[in-house]
Parts: sequence; structure tokens; C-alpha cells
Amino acid sequence: MASPELEIKNLCHYYHGKKILDIPYFQVSQGECLVIIGPNGAGKSTLLRIASLLEKPAEGEIFFRGTKVTAQNELAFRRRLVYLLDRPLFFRGKVKDNLLYGLKIRGVSKKEQAERLEEISELFHLHSLLESEPQELSAGEKQRVNLARALIIKPDLLLLDEPFASLDLNLKDEIMAEFQAIRKKRAQTTVMVTHNREEAFFLAERLAVLIAGEIKQTGPPEEILSLPHSVEIASLLGHESLVEGSVVGQQNGLLQVAAGSNYIYAFGSAERGEKVKVVFRPEEVILAEEKPQTSVRNWFYGQVVEIKPMDRMVFVSLDCGFRLKACLTKTALEELKVAPGKSFWAGVKASSLSARLSTAKKAEKDSDEN
Amino acid sequence: MAQGLSAGEILNIVRLTLFVSGLATLLAFLLALPVAFFLYFRHFPGRKIIISLINTGMGLPPVVVGLMVALFLWRSGPLGSLKLMYTPAAMVIAQIILAWPIIAGLSLAAFEQVNPELLLQARALGASRFQLALTLGREARLGEISGIIAAFGAVISEVGAVMMVGGNIKGQTRVLTTAILQETRIGNFHLALLLALILLAISLAINLMLTSWQQKGLRTWPRPSWK
Repeated sequence: MASPELEIKNLCHYYHGKKILDIPYFQVSQGECLVIIGPNGAGKSTLLRIASLLEKPAEGEIFFRGTKVTAQNELAFRRRLVYLLDRPLFFRGKVKDNLLYGLKIRGVSKKEQAERLEEISELFHLHSLLESEPQELSAGEKQRVNLARALIIKPDLLLLDEPFASLDLNLKDEIMAEFQAIRKKRAQTTVMVTHNREEAFFLAERLAVLIAGEIKQTGPPEEILSLPHSVEIASLLGHESLVEGSVVGQQNGLLQVAAGSNYIYAFGSAERGEKVKVVFRPEEVILAEEKPQTSVRNWFYGQVVEIKPMDRMVFVSLDCGFRLKACLTKTALEELKVAPGKSFWAGVKASSLSARLSTAKKAEKDSDEN
Repeated sequence: MAQGLSAGEILNIVRLTLFVSGLATLLAFLLALPVAFFLYFRHFPGRKIIISLINTGMGLPPVVVGLMVALFLWRSGPLGSLKLMYTPAAMVIAQIILAWPIIAGLSLAAFEQVNPELLLQARALGASRFQLALTLGREARLGEISGIIAAFGAVISEVGAVMMVGGNIKGQTRVLTTAILQETRIGNFHLALLLALILLAISLAINLMLTSWQQKGLRTWPRPSWK
């Protein structure tokens, strides 16, 4: 495993005398995308600001690549990272000036400024916006410029506070995909906080669950989703099933994804051979004893491994080569005589599934690193 | 041509007026900014009192300032040995004291208007302390230039302080305001009126320059209509 870019040890932080963060150990590996998920008020933003060296923790030590941060080297370390606030705020001047801010501050030569500006404008499709004032931009453009002005710096560590929260759904998909592709290409070490499950599932290579100032569980999102340590974590993350596979075919935007011995049909934009993640919502999974003739594209056969009653509904987990959760009413459960060990067909419409590029595997370092 | 002063003499008066008030405004600006930055970034007990004193200072009566400076520079005063009384230097000192609180007070008010989260973002993009202050200064440019405009307008038009510490010595410390006073006192209304027009024209010209600097690069996106 890659060595840690950032380590935080014995962190305690207080607000108005109340302990809001208590984290004995926290680390971010080089090249990974770590997503911190937690409910509002869990201390996500505070943790991020402490990791960004913008706020001093009451107790605790911070290390970058093994070197402890002190008052003397703080600025040098702060310049190796970039932190973006939860909404894009711009300086007076044009988009171009805002993009170059971080480079100017670091004393980067004019020639290199121009090269990097060109490169980042290309990546984020910003050429037509460079001479505009940031206030003239739409919400999506603003967020693209915001991400671009962080990535232009090529920081060792990028810290993002709810970067996609203010965007509507279509825009969010588009900008997340754009960001994801660049992040992957550059193997950009990233820490992101969010309270949005979908964002977390798709972007995270590793997920950390922060509840009431404590990190309750860390691991790959698939693992935490299928084996949450507590009911608290389960209810925070929901009951979605997350499956990873590779694209083997594509037609009219409908992807054929191979996952184990199954094929999953889902919508998304990805090329043949690319790894994608597919999220199944349990409310959209139906169970049947025989495979019926319907328009539903996805049918998986699997054995019931777990039955969990919750409120008026029951969650049934099937092992179909991957773990798939279905949500049934109690009546349906009785009528179908669902019991552990029995096998069922689980069906999901392709139109209720979306596949997104995953970063979990093969982070290719390529030409633009040099 | 008006009697009493030659064209050359008028030109000298204009030159001295611009020199004294311009230099005083510039020096006041350089002395006021660090204090405004300090008051913005540092919170300490007594900060509000200092800000109130500065705000009060924006309306200091020029004669009172003239008196204070005169007391210090008088031959037997604490700084009497510098022999600055009745020199342009004394006039610059008095006008700095008049201009300084205006620039410091208005700049600080302009700083407070800048979104503090924007400054946090500047730090998060790697700004050092000094670069943070520069960024703040740039964001608050509009208000700072308003301070310069107000201060320059106040000192070029005041007569009390320059009269007291300059003495209105012909060819040495006579500026437009004291010259107008002098000419009016001896009934030379034509010349007084001419000098007054020159003073107004200079004020207008300088303010045009400062205003176009102030409005340069100002956000131009559509503003709400006035209906």
C-alpha cells in the first residue's frame, strides 16, 4: 500500500467547551480518494479545516509524509495542499486571474503559469470563460472554475468540502464525471467530505464514517455497505447495494457490465473495458420464484442470506455472486415464503440503475505527471 | 489680469498646494493602511475604542490640529529644535494628521465588508500573511480609494491648519486656500474668485483621475433595474 500523505494523531477539538472531534488516528494514503461521510454537525468540515492547516486543533499532531507540522514549516506545508470551501468564492478580476491565484502566490514563473492555464482550461473546457467575470457564470461553470483553480496547482493533497452539493442532478453527474476522470488520470490524492451517499459511493476508494466527532468505520465502500459495524452506520449509509464490474458492451447509452458471472444492464457513459460501479436501491429490486417474462432487463438468481425487519418493511439480502438487498413489505415476505437458504430471482429495471466510472482499480499515472 | 499676483506667482501657489496636499495624502495612506490591517486581523481589548477614536478623528477641526502641531513645533516646543514651524514640512505634517483618520477609518470599514470566507479561501489556496493582506487590500480597493478621495478633498480645501503652521508666507508657504483668504481680506475679490476657481478645477481634475482609477475593473454584470 502507498505510504501516507497525511497522518493525524491523537486529535481532540472543542467548540464552546464541547468535544466535537476525537480521532486517535487518521491517515490518507498517497494517490487515494478518501471520502468522509457523516450527518450534518458530525465535525466533517472542522476535520477538513484542521487537515488543511487552517484551524489549529486543541490537541493532536499532524504529519505530512512523515514530517510533523510545526509553526515554522506550516506555510510550506499549507502550500502543498489546497482546500476548497463548500461554495465557490472568487476574487475580484477575471476567471483567468482566479485560476492563476494559487500559482502566483507560489511564485510560479509566467511561462509555467501560461502552460498550466492552457492545460487546465483544456481539461475543464474553460477556454471561452477565461475573460469573463466569475459573477457572470452559471452554478456549474462556477464549480468547474473552482475545481480547476485547485487542480491547476497540482497539490500533493486536495481537500474538498461538499464540492457537488450545490449542483442540480444532471450537472452533478457531469461535473463529478469530469472531476473523477482528471483525478484518476493524475492519481490526485483527495479527501472529500459529504453527507450525500451516492457521491460517496461513486467517488470513494476508501470511505470513513464520521459520526459525532468520531471515525466509526473505514474501508472500501462495498465493504462498509455490506458489513456496517453498527445500526447507526447502516442507517446513515442506507441499504443500497454497490457492485463493481467492467463494461463489456454498450448500446444507446445502455451499458452491459460484467460482474462475476452476471451481466448487469445500466445507463451511464463509459467505454468498453472500463471499471464502473452500479448502485442498486433496495426499493427497486423485486423478487420472484420463477423468472417471469417481462421487459425487465436484469435478473439475478441468488440465495437468501439475511432477513432484516425494519419499521414496516423487511430487507432481504441475496447472494447472487454479489450481495443484493431487496426491500419487501411484510405481506409480500409471507406470500413468497421468503426464508434463509431459499433461492429467488431478483429483478431490476435497467432504467433505475446508473453506472459510473470507478476509481478503485488501476490508477494510471501518465504523461501529464511529467 | 488680476492685480496683486503674477501668473508665475499663481503657478507657484498651485504647485505648492498640490505638493503639500498630495504628499500629505500619500503619506497618510501609507501610514493608515498598516494600522487598518492590524485592526482588521487582530482582536484585542480596546480595539473598539481605538476604532471610535479614529472615526472621531475623521471630523477633526483643522484649526485644532493646526494648534496642536504649532504647540509641538514652536521654537520652545518639544520639537522646536527641528525649526519646522512656518515651512511646507509643517503643513504636510498637519495635513497628514487630518487625512490619516479618514483613510484608516474608511479602509477598515471597507475591509470589514469583504467576505471573511473569501479570505479563508485565499489562505486555503496557499496565501501567506502578507499575501493575505494584499488580497484583502485588492478586494477592498473601492473603499480605500473612497478614503483617499475624501482625505484629499478635506486637506486641499482646509485653511485653518496650513494657516497656523505655515503662516501664509508669500512665495514660501502660501497655498490656494490661504491666498484666497488673504485676497478676500484685502478686498481683492477678482483675484480671490480666480484662485477659488483654480482650486475647484484642481479638485475636479484630481477627483476625475481618482474616480476612474476606482471604477476601473469594477464588476460590470447587469445590476438590478431602478424601477
